[in-house]
Amino acid sequence: MTTASASRPSARTYLIVWVALVAIVVVEILLTYAHLSPGTQLAALLSLALVEAGIALAYFMHLRYERAILFWSLIPGLVFALLMLDQIWFDALRLITLRHGP
Amino acid sequence: MTHAAMTLEPSPFGIQSKKLAIWLFIMADGATFGAILFAYGYLRIGTPDWSRPFAWTPTILNAAVMTLVLLSSSVTMLLAVSAAQSGRIAAGVRWLGGTALLGTAFAALHLREWFAMFHEGWSVSHNPLNGPAQFGATFFGITGLHLLHVITGVAAILVIAAGFRRGRFNAGHVETTGLYWHFVDLVWMFVFPMVYLMNAR
Repeated sequence: MTTASASRPSARTYLIVWVALVAIVVVEILLTYAHLSPGTQLAALLSLALVEAGIALAYFMHLRYERAILFWSLIPGLVFALLMLDQIWFDALRLITLRHGP
Repeated sequence: MTHAAMTLEPSPFGIQSKKLAIWLFIMADGATFGAILFAYGYLRIGTPDWSRPFAWTPTILNAAVMTLVLLSSSVTMLLAVSAAQSGRIAAGVRWLGGTALLGTAFAALHLREWFAMFHEGWSVSHNPLNGPAQFGATFFGITGLHLLHVITGVAAILVIAAGFRRGRFNAGHVETTGLYWHFVDLVWMFVFPMVYLMNAR
């Protein structure tokens, strides 16, 4: 069975994507030494990581060139599962108050 | 036409079964890494005196080089898939070999870092800075799970390269292996900032 995607990125596109990802890594390192608060640093690094992941999924893993049903069948479910894990943060914050008292 | 052939329907995804299978595996493995990273985050937030031991040299610089190596290996894998789909078997095998080489370099850099940390007294249950032992447990647990994926990925690439060269595997097998390898790279895009950069001195 042939694949659904009719177009594939060129080697030039792969190189541009690689340069973009390396640039994001450089920005992440610079932010690490920018004396940000831990919360701000975490938010910035996580946001950049999500951008990198999106680029990798779209271009390296060719999700952009596959049928839309593949994206909608796979990604929302995983995102939902990962968002559900966010419920644990309240318990982690509670641990801090338990250690040091109210 | 046989009865079985008349009842078969085309795949709604328009891809080979093995490609769909590797995507489903990637989703499951992504949830696994997501859970372990969330567990690390939970322990980190709940532990007020978390250690931040990683200096620019050698640790952060080494991790940055590892990131560059892994990103480059994804490009060589893409070129291998492209060559395989174009019917250029020799080029495809060469690019697969290059990918395996870069993956091995990543693993070697990682193990060198690990052994340096062991030498300093770090382990899954000991923190030589007298901080929480959970640091070692989470660090070696997360990076160890990723390293296991890298090593098995390199082995898989070599098997696929040998089979593709002999004509036993086709471009679809190369593409499937490529998807797994890009996933390994994608996970590192979270491990590097969360585990290394967030623990930089």
